[in-house]
Amino acid sequence: MVSLASYLIISLILFVVGLVVMIARKNIVAILLGIELILNAAALNFVAYSRYATNNLDGHIFSLFIIVVAAAEAAVGLAIVIRFFQIKETIHIDEATQLRN
Amino acid sequence: MQYTVGSIAPIFLSPVIAFVINAFFGRKLPRNGDWLAVLSIFISFVFSARIFGDFFFGQFATDYYIHKTFTWFDLSAGTHVFKVDMGIYLDNMSSIMLLMVSGVAFLIHLFSTWYMDHDERHGRFFVFLPLFTSAMLGLVLSDNLFSLFLFWEIMGFCSYSLIGIYYEKEKAGDASLKAFMTTRVGDVFLLLGIVAIWMVVGSVNYVDIYAAIAQGKFDGPAVLGISFATFTALCIFAGAMGKSAQFPLHVWLPDAMMGPTPGSALIHAATMVTAGVWVSLRMYPLMVLGDITWFIAVIGAITAFGAATIAMVQTDIKAVLAYSTLSQLGYMMIGVGVGSYNAAFMHVITHAFFKACLFLSAGSIIHSVHEQEMPKLGGLKKYLPYTHFAMMCCTLAIAGIPFFSGFVSKDRILGDALYFGFMAGQNPLLAIVPILGFAGAGLTAFYMFRMMFLTFYGENRTHDSHGHGHGHKDDHGHHGHGHEIHHEHLDFRSNVPLLILAVFTLGFWFAGNVVGQNFGNVFGGKNEWFKILVEAPKVEKFVDRPKQAFSSVDTKGEIVLPHAHYHHQSGYAGPNPDEHKLHTAHVIGAWLSIFIAFSGVFIAFLMYIKKSVKPLAEKFPGITEMLKAKYNFDHFYIDILIKKGLLGLNRFLAWLDMGIYDRYVIDGMAAVNRVLFKASKWFDNVVIDAIGVDGTGVTVNLFNLVLRIVQSGKIQFYFIMLVMVLASYIWTLNI
Amino acid sequence: MFLQFLFLCSAALTVGCAIAVAVTKNIMHSCIFLLGTLIGIAGLYATLGADFVAVTQIMVYVGGIVILMLFAVMLTGGKDFVSRAQNLLGLAPSMGNKWTFALGGFVGVVFILTNVKLLMSVFQTIPAKSFGNEYPSTVNEIGHLLIKDHVLAFELSSVLLLGALVGAAIIARPRKQ
Repeated sequence: MVSLASYLIISLILFVVGLVVMIARKNIVAILLGIELILNAAALNFVAYSRYATNNLDGHIFSLFIIVVAAAEAAVGLAIVIRFFQIKETIHIDEATQLRN
Repeated sequence: MQYTVGSIAPIFLSPVIAFVINAFFGRKLPRNGDWLAVLSIFISFVFSARIFGDFFFGQFATDYYIHKTFTWFDLSAGTHVFKVDMGIYLDNMSSIMLLMVSGVAFLIHLFSTWYMDHDERHGRFFVFLPLFTSAMLGLVLSDNLFSLFLFWEIMGFCSYSLIGIYYEKEKAGDASLKAFMTTRVGDVFLLLGIVAIWMVVGSVNYVDIYAAIAQGKFDGPAVLGISFATFTALCIFAGAMGKSAQFPLHVWLPDAMMGPTPGSALIHAATMVTAGVWVSLRMYPLMVLGDITWFIAVIGAITAFGAATIAMVQTDIKAVLAYSTLSQLGYMMIGVGVGSYNAAFMHVITHAFFKACLFLSAGSIIHSVHEQEMPKLGGLKKYLPYTHFAMMCCTLAIAGIPFFSGFVSKDRILGDALYFGFMAGQNPLLAIVPILGFAGAGLTAFYMFRMMFLTFYGENRTHDSHGHGHGHKDDHGHHGHGHEIHHEHLDFRSNVPLLILAVFTLGFWFAGNVVGQNFGNVFGGKNEWFKILVEAPKVEKFVDRPKQAFSSVDTKGEIVLPHAHYHHQSGYAGPNPDEHKLHTAHVIGAWLSIFIAFSGVFIAFLMYIKKSVKPLAEKFPGITEMLKAKYNFDHFYIDILIKKGLLGLNRFLAWLDMGIYDRYVIDGMAAVNRVLFKASKWFDNVVIDAIGVDGTGVTVNLFNLVLRIVQSGKIQFYFIMLVMVLASYIWTLNI
Repeated sequence: MFLQFLFLCSAALTVGCAIAVAVTKNIMHSCIFLLGTLIGIAGLYATLGADFVAVTQIMVYVGGIVILMLFAVMLTGGKDFVSRAQNLLGLAPSMGNKWTFALGGFVGVVFILTNVKLLMSVFQTIPAKSFGNEYPSTVNEIGHLLIKDHVLAFELSSVLLLGALVGAAIIARPRKQ
């Protein structure tokens, strides 16, 4: 039988991979991909707990809202990426240090 | 009448609604919707006044509180409880605070409609002003540290926007950033403290925290060699230090006067800076448990005295007021530290009234004369009689002249400080607290009267500067050109707020009697109502008190209890007071502070009216230079610590970035060698140079280390730090 | 039996594609692998009986977000990201390199250890729940929940989406210099 732990482990792996993507890759779009992975890990946790730990569907609602927020975040994030590309002609993350000083 | 959530929530919600409407439709409304902001604050004021009336007239018992909670979300699984509650917590203290915040904010709003008239940022100003006020009201109403933190951050953001409202001026932009970053250092610690409390209590409700303190749950594992309670209390107090601008983190407040004057009035008087004192008062049992009250007192004393000395040499009228705010905040912290709980809170209230009035008066002067440098003012008494009257009342109050509010509250703090320093059998070194406190009180009287004399008395010097007045821009955004000063006339938007605030600088409103010692009672049986209503929370009472649902109704009839009589109670919250000695300390303190205040006024009189003593600047040019440089704190932070001292660290980090983070590590052995080399260089530069040459504390250094890392600008580095800090927190605290 | 088969397939798809996202050099391929991950997660939702969430996941993520990502990749110069050599400025190539991956891996290990420490107690305390192999449709109940208990969040999310839409349009619009 599939247990809650297996879902939690998959979600942990997803989260860590997302974290590695966010830290290791230098491309802003890739970092956004990492964020999507992390959000999905959280949503998977919600649904898994909803099935195994509680008796209601609140977890489903939460993951639906996560999807909504992810959509909004992707739209705005990619708009920023495109704008950044128009200005800097690169999407290398280390170029984005305008606010440093 | 009944208390439902509907009779409490509008206090917070109506300014929020005004903010939303002004933010989106402000430009469409007549006068950019400033009337809406004023109206919304007035609604808050009416509701607060009703609550205050009920508490004041004894409808509720002294230790009664209204606590309504609802569960925001509940993610508990198994035995792991993860539940976040939100709610409203109302007791005597918050009823007083609500009335003060909404009342003062209402008058400030009213004044702003006059002050900001025809200003290009009029609309923007009236977006942030109600949001700021609502955040403060929400902070006062909130029942847990978590929502307190949310409102705390909203206020930080609003102050950032209000300080930098003329963002095209470079100084204003810098000042707003400085305020934001400096308070952020404190905020990090506050958040850390909140998480630590959550860990042991499982909730951040005040009620639960008090109960946990009473049940001794704070015997958690020691952190970094200090006990858990001390660690938590220190973290919370560090947050308060940032917000209330206490000594190492004070640098932002003087620059916060870059915004429009009513905005400064709101920041300095009713909101923002009092939030830090508020959280220290709310968490007072924790401070006592963690045994850091002496530390609070010392920090407060250093701030009170240091800021007062700087204020003596400032020439900008708003700068004097800004430093006097710092100094008065120091007194509040002394009050918290020496255990004079209700006097510290009373000083919050009295200070709010007179400081708001002082700032608004300064605004009135600036608006009329378009000049804020005191050497270019003078002789304004005949032009601005009402402003003069209001400002004089407040100056008397802040200087600690008898019969005025500042005397009542500050004197009680100083009396307790005297007891704390000399008679309570503490470490003799702590005598520095009352000494610095009294010295600061004398300086306060001096510099405030210096400001009054330079501004309102003597010959009028405004015309001297008109030749080159063009092109000079005052903080109001107007070019100071040489039109005649008009005589002011009574106007309900410009003078009446000042006069109303001036009325509340009289001492009897707060003490309940005119002279003290039950003589000349004004409120009859409500003599010393402040002491009756405000007392340090007694944690044992909070164990197992039931919570009410959010929709519940409090009926007054069921909970009327007779007021306790506290005629001979001192309001001292420290450990085991010796009543007799305490009384002696208060008597000595009262006479001493009267003497000191009058001598301060007298010296100012000699220097600036009689001119028989040379002004300070001519007498001690060296000291004046040092004070004008504000003890070189900015220089120290920016040039020495960040630029010089941290250059080595800078190189080290740059190497870390380039070497490990990017691809420059070629050889493992070479890398190790270079680490050792750079580390020793870093040690040399930072530790030896900074401490050996400048002789400064390592703590300050650490703050800047944090700042430096935060400023690396590499977002991926932030991710790493985030995970590492989280991990280290979990591993060290052994959850 | 079918359930376990579906779970294993989905889990393998999810984890494998996720790792591929992290290590593929071409950002275009990364996006495609993300697609696989998202479909795998939809499969996991299905094994959890969350039919509505699974379908939404496929529609919104696979149909919307990934396409958006691909557009962004193409608008910002697709081929350029294939492991560019180090340039004169001393910047690392866009994909990162073994050092950044080493650092990322280290942080990941730290995170896993931290999480395992936290989760151990959770694993032990959650009661084993037995449920049959029945998977009732959740659409009806989710609809009720959305317009009853969570109606405020529902409305707010629509405002959020509108705001994101307008914001994205404003940010990305071409500007005259």
